[in-house]
Order: sequence, then C-alpha cells, then structure tokens
Amino acid sequence: MAFIKIKNLTYYYPDNKNPALDSISLEIPEGQFVLVVGGSGSGKSTLIRAIAGLVPDFYGGTYGGKVYLDNKEIKQLDRRSLVQQVGMVFQDPESQLVMTNVEQEVAFGLENLGLSNSLMKRRVMEVTSAMALSDYFHSFTPELSGGQKQKVALASVLAMQPDILLLDEPTSQLDPIAGEEILTMIRRLNEENGITVVLIEQRLERCFHLADRVLVMDKGKIIFDHHAPDTISRWAVKNNTSFIPPLAKLFAGVGFSEVPTTVKQGREILKSYYPLLNFSTETPTRAEKTKKSQKSSGETIIDIQNLWFTYPNGQEALKNINLKIISGDFVVIMGENGAGKTTLMKNINGLLKPGRGRVKVLNRDTKKLSVEELASTVGNLSQDPNDYLFLPTVGEELFFTLKNLGLTDDGNCEEILDRLQLTPYVDSNPRDLSTGERQRVALASVLAAKPKLLLLDEPTRGLDYRLKEELGDILLQLQREGIAILVITHDVEFAAEYADDIVLMAEGSIIARGNKYEMLSGSTFYSPQISKLFNNIADNVVTLNQGKEILSKIMELSKDEALSV
Amino acid sequence: MLVYREKDNLIHKLHPFTLIFYIGIVFLLSLVFNHPIYLLGLFLAVGAVIIAGGHFSEWKVYLKFSVTMIIIIMVINAIFVQAGDTVLLVGPRVPVLGKIVITLEALAFGAGMGIRLLVMISIFCLYTYAVHPDKALKLFSRLGNKSVLVITLSTRLFPLMVRDFQRITEVQRCRGVKLDTGRWWERAKNLLPVISVLLLSCLERSLQLAESMHARGYGSGSRSYYSRELWRPRDYLILSALIIGLISGLWAALKGWSTYSYYPRLTLFNPGELKTAVIVVITLAVPAILNWGWKKWPLLRSKI
Repeated sequence: MAFIKIKNLTYYYPDNKNPALDSISLEIPEGQFVLVVGGSGSGKSTLIRAIAGLVPDFYGGTYGGKVYLDNKEIKQLDRRSLVQQVGMVFQDPESQLVMTNVEQEVAFGLENLGLSNSLMKRRVMEVTSAMALSDYFHSFTPELSGGQKQKVALASVLAMQPDILLLDEPTSQLDPIAGEEILTMIRRLNEENGITVVLIEQRLERCFHLADRVLVMDKGKIIFDHHAPDTISRWAVKNNTSFIPPLAKLFAGVGFSEVPTTVKQGREILKSYYPLLNFSTETPTRAEKTKKSQKSSGETIIDIQNLWFTYPNGQEALKNINLKIISGDFVVIMGENGAGKTTLMKNINGLLKPGRGRVKVLNRDTKKLSVEELASTVGNLSQDPNDYLFLPTVGEELFFTLKNLGLTDDGNCEEILDRLQLTPYVDSNPRDLSTGERQRVALASVLAAKPKLLLLDEPTRGLDYRLKEELGDILLQLQREGIAILVITHDVEFAAEYADDIVLMAEGSIIARGNKYEMLSGSTFYSPQISKLFNNIADNVVTLNQGKEILSKIMELSKDEALSV
Repeated sequence: MLVYREKDNLIHKLHPFTLIFYIGIVFLLSLVFNHPIYLLGLFLAVGAVIIAGGHFSEWKVYLKFSVTMIIIIMVINAIFVQAGDTVLLVGPRVPVLGKIVITLEALAFGAGMGIRLLVMISIFCLYTYAVHPDKALKLFSRLGNKSVLVITLSTRLFPLMVRDFQRITEVQRCRGVKLDTGRWWERAKNLLPVISVLLLSCLERSLQLAESMHARGYGSGSRSYYSRELWRPRDYLILSALIIGLISGLWAALKGWSTYSYYPRLTLFNPGELKTAVIVVITLAVPAILNWGWKKWPLLRSKI
C-alpha cells in the first residue's frame, strides 16, 4: 500500500505562461477517499496526472517540486512499477479502450507488464467476475453501452492491481444510472479493498458523502482542504463557490445549524423540527397561475399530431406522440435511454420525417421542408460542442451559420457574443477555450440565426455546477424573450431548477406531461434531492428557492419557540 | 462493423491456428494447381467447410458476385486469346485486335481460371466469417507487435469514426450546411466542415488514447501475450489431414498431374493422374466431415 506526498509542486504545460499547478503541497494517507472539485482549468486533472507520472512524463512542460509514493520519488521509479501502483481511469470511455473485445482489453495492461499467461488468465477472470463483466466477456467493444465501456476501462486498470486509483470525471459522459453504478463500485473498492481513491467528479450529490476528504482547487492551487462536509459547505457558501451538492448548499445557504450530505441525514434533521412542519402548498399554485396566463398568449411553435416513427430496421421508436409547444415554453423531456427522446427531437428538426401523423413547425409541415430550411427556425445544440467548432475564430463560427442560411448580420451577432460573455474571445480559436466557453460558442453559433425554438440534447453533460447555473440563466433569459426551449436531459436537478414543464417518455410514447411541481415532487426516481428531502413534509417542493423559504421559516419558528420557552 | 459471429459448430470451435493453416494451404494449392479437376476439388472441399461453418447464405452472395466476374473473364479471354485449334466462331475484323476468333480452348481456359477465382473468393469468405479478427491478429502479434496493434486500433476505431461522421453531419446540417442538395462539387465543398471537425476530433481522441495506453504501461518494456485458446484432439486430427493433403498436392504438382494444358487442343483427362485429387479433396474436407460427426454423435463430440 502506498501513500502520496506532494511537495511544492509547480507545473507549466509546454508553451503556457500560466502555471497549471502552483506550489501544491499535499499528503494523502493510504486508503483515503479524496474528492477533488473545482472549475474547468483549475488544475484538478493536472494534479492527478502528476500523481500518475503522466505530468511531465507524457506531456512534457516545466516541472518543479517533488511527488513521492511511499517515500520514493516517482521520478526514480521505473514506469513499470509506477503503473502497477497507480491506476488511472479517464473521462471518455471511447478514448481509452484500445482492443476490440472486453477480455483482450482487460488483458492489455497485463501484457504491457510482461506477466505470465497463467497469471494474466487468473487476473482477467477475477476482475471480470468481480465487476460483473462476464456476460460481455467476448463482446465487441464498439457495441457496448457507455456505462459498460467505462466499467471495462475500470476493470482493465484494476487488473493491474494498483494501490492508488485516480479517476478523472469517470461518470461525466454517462447517464445517471450508469454513473451511479461506477461510483458504487469505486466506493466498494475503497471500503472493501482499501484502495486509495482520488476522484474528480462534478455530480457531487452522488459522491460528496462518500469522500473522506474534499479538496477544492482554483487556478492551480488547493484553496480548501477539509474532511467535514458542514465546514466545507459553510466555507463554500461564504466564498460563493458552487462546488457543493444542492442539499448542502440549501442548508448552509440559509445558515442552518446542521448541514447534511444525504437525503437521509437531511430528513432526520428535519424530523427533529417535526411539530413546526406544517406548510401550505402556495408556491406551485402561484407558479402555475403565472404560467397559464403566459400560455394563452403564446404563438404555437411546434404542433405534433399522432406522430409515429419506425426506423428502417423495424424498430418502432415513436408511438402516437402528441405535443404542442408554444413560444416561451421551457419543456424538459426525460426518460430512459431508448425511450425515443432523440428520435422525437430529430423529427422536430427535420433530420427524420414522420412515418405517420404530422409535425408542424410554425404551422408548416416538416415533411415538405428540408433540414436546412428548418434550420433558421429550429436551433439545435447537440451534446458535444466540439461537433460545431472548426473555424479559426469565434466570430467566424457565428458568421458561418449566417452564411449557410443566407442571412445578414444586423448587429445580432455582437449582441449574442456580449450576452454569452464571449466578446473578449471573438478572435480566439474556439478549440482553445474551456468546456463551458466552447458550449457557449456553439450556442452562439446557433442563436445567430435567431431561432424561435431551441432544441438542446443533454446540455449539462460534463458541466460543473457553476457552468450549469450559467447555462440555466442564459436559457431563462432566452425564454423570457419568447424563444421556446426544449431540452432532453437526464439531469433531474437541472430540470427542477429551470424547466416549466416536464414530459416523461418511455418506449416511444409520452407517458405524462405536466408542470414540474406535480411531475417531479411526486416521483421516487425522477425527483431532485430537494423534493426527496421534503417528501411528505411539504408538498410540491422542487426548487432550491422553495427549499430555502421553508428552511428559513423553520429557523424563524424554532427561534420563536426557543424564546417563548 | 464486425461481421464475425460465434456459431455453434465445430468450425467455430477450432484453434484459430488450425483454421488459418487450413486457409493458407487451400490458398497455396489453388496457386499451385491449374488442372480444372484439382481446382474444382479444392472448391468443393472449401464449400463443404463453409457450409459446415453455417455460412451458406453469406457464401451465396460471394458466389453470385464471382460468377459474374468469371463470365467476364471468360469472354475477355476468349476475345483476346486466339490460340486453340477448335474454332467455335469467327467474328468480324476489329481494328487493333484483328479478326476475332473464339476457340473452345480459350473458353475452357477462362472457365478453369474462373474456378481458381471461386476458390480464392470462397476462402476469403471463410476467413471473414469464421475467423475472429482478434484471434487471428493475436497469432501474428508475436511477429510484429506494433503493426498488429495499429490494425486492432483501426478495427476498434472505425465504427466510432463512422458514428462521429454521422453525428457531425447531422449537427452541421442543422446549422444550414447543405449536404443533400446542390451540385456534387457544392456538396463536396460543403462536406469540408464535417471533415474538419472529424479530423480535429480524431486528433484529440488519438492523444487521449495514447495517454491511456501510456498510463497502462504500454511501451514500458517487453510485452507478454495473453491467450486462452485451447488445443483439442479435433485440431490435431485436422492438422494431420491437412499435412497429408498438402504433401499429396505438392506431390501431384511435382509429378505434373495437377497441370493441364488447354492449348492447342483440349485433351482427355488421365484418370490415373486424378487419384491424388481425390486424396486432396478428402483431406481438405475433414473439418466438414468431423463437423457432421460432431453434430450427429454426442460421444464423438465429447471425444474430440
């Protein structure tokens, strides 16, 4: 077993004047579960790469300070013994699998170590059965799902039996269920096998409580390092950083005396105030009223009537869909993988044409319109902003859309750049920007055409809390201007905070549509942490602000009660 | 995508070396033989193994394609080769070629070469559908480690690139890039953004892949080879039969029995020279025969 010691580590990537790591000193005892949080470009990934020896071994650059594993400096360790001590799992499962099937992939690292065939067979067998991969043992890698691929990546690292496991946002490209499975496995490895874990993760609501210690990084420095969740939460609220899960943010935000990390803890805290918990359900009703008044005045953007769609392979992906979206709507479509969400979206933007039934965009039948003709009305932002960006500057990306659609710039581009805080980058190469900025450039290039409807497919995937908030605020602003917004997401917390309506899909049909208060608060699985917290305590609580209101009331009441006693 | 699918028959349960050895021997003999009966024998033996492997439907597609090719070969050969004594047809005088004379010998020669083509296409079909590419590569990886890894990586990344291409195309079309309409050069020009994005993504991905390989110790010293393939009696039986087939085939070639001269006039086959052809066919059909027994008698299945 190994412990990690970092002394005064400073590192610059090649051709970069700003340090990626700035005088880091850190000790991680063996068996600890460390969670590293911070915005993009804060140095999290570089830090764990330094522990794995990839910095500077793989990247080059200027390096100062020392990293020790078990009191041995890693520069003095040969690579073979280093990779046997430190295993690393990366963000994108697609970009780390080398072989064509699961068995060969798990054996890949072992072959690199030059182990004997009998030992390899044993390790491959052990790891695949421990990680429940036996069913896919001979499967062709490209045919696995994202979650399965990430499990294979994890297994191939574990087969090398490392003492330290480093994970760089391993769940960011996965849906919540697959992500949860990976995190559960990591926790088990830490608890049952004593493996030291250093995890970088954005979905803090799923892993905050697992960690023994949380490191907050910013601009290459560790700005906070603590093990107690309540201390971190209070610190985060005070410093206005968004790197704490919604529950902790809620309790610390109103200055509550205790700060929970799980729904279970939160409910226990609330139960102790039980006699005070008697709330009316005003909030949603009010919200609904305002919405209804808005609704009646809106222009119909999308009108889908009895839509059926079957793929050429016979798969019936959409069954009798009826959906109406008017200007100023903010609708989120949720449902499992394969429920037909993306197919529905492609029927709206014209990439697919209805088999039966009708899709009307601004009262025009999409069957008679090409994708390009629809493009000026229906803006489309896909998951990966990189799919948009290929021109040398941000400005050119915007003009490219205009040119394609035969539009001229009437000052709109400048306004969009300004609104999305991209003006300083107008002459930068979009590929050099951070994740959040790249997404904003892609969004700007879509908005340049002034669409009436904006379709977004998993826009929050891979974004941290701060970037999610920024994106949510931009969308709300667009909604206020009358743009209809339709989002596909698995992110319940995002839907709860920003959407008006939720559409639930399953097996190609719309199961239910309603406002978020009724849809999210009464559900066991499709509900945000805040709703779970107040379930059966206060009705229809979905957003952070509602939660804050109730907690503040509790605090006031308990103060009054204490005074009266 | 990967076309190999594991099937429940003996051909799919052989050691990859046995199958590759089989394919190699048939390939070699198809080059050595030029006697139509010997080539036909090879074709029948390979056909039996393909059917035993459960790939008749895929093979049919290959055959349809090759029969067209054979007809073209026969016609071209008959038109261009004027040798042969048995004239079937005398055509008009054509510039450059002179007088067109179609002879029986030239047609027969074309047909003979057609059978050779059938054999080659059939073994290609067998290789595609009955040999797992990974297992074949593993066999060769001891010879050239890095080039094998490159092939493996391309097999793995190709489907990914196809998917990326489709996704990027959709994204750019939604931005108004016209890929379906307009003249072909306009469409080709409009494909530029898609290709640029694809190239950039591929570059980024290859860097990440290299990092992941580095982190798992690739290139940190000499590698070992993971293999879980087992040798069974069936492999030894088939390999022995193949060696007998190879020796008899080469013996026939040395003796000149497996050569046939089409020109100047077709001659009758000498039955004595065809005996070795029977041995070659039987030995090369052993996998199919064993598969038949393997399916019919559970006892044989447990023994081999």
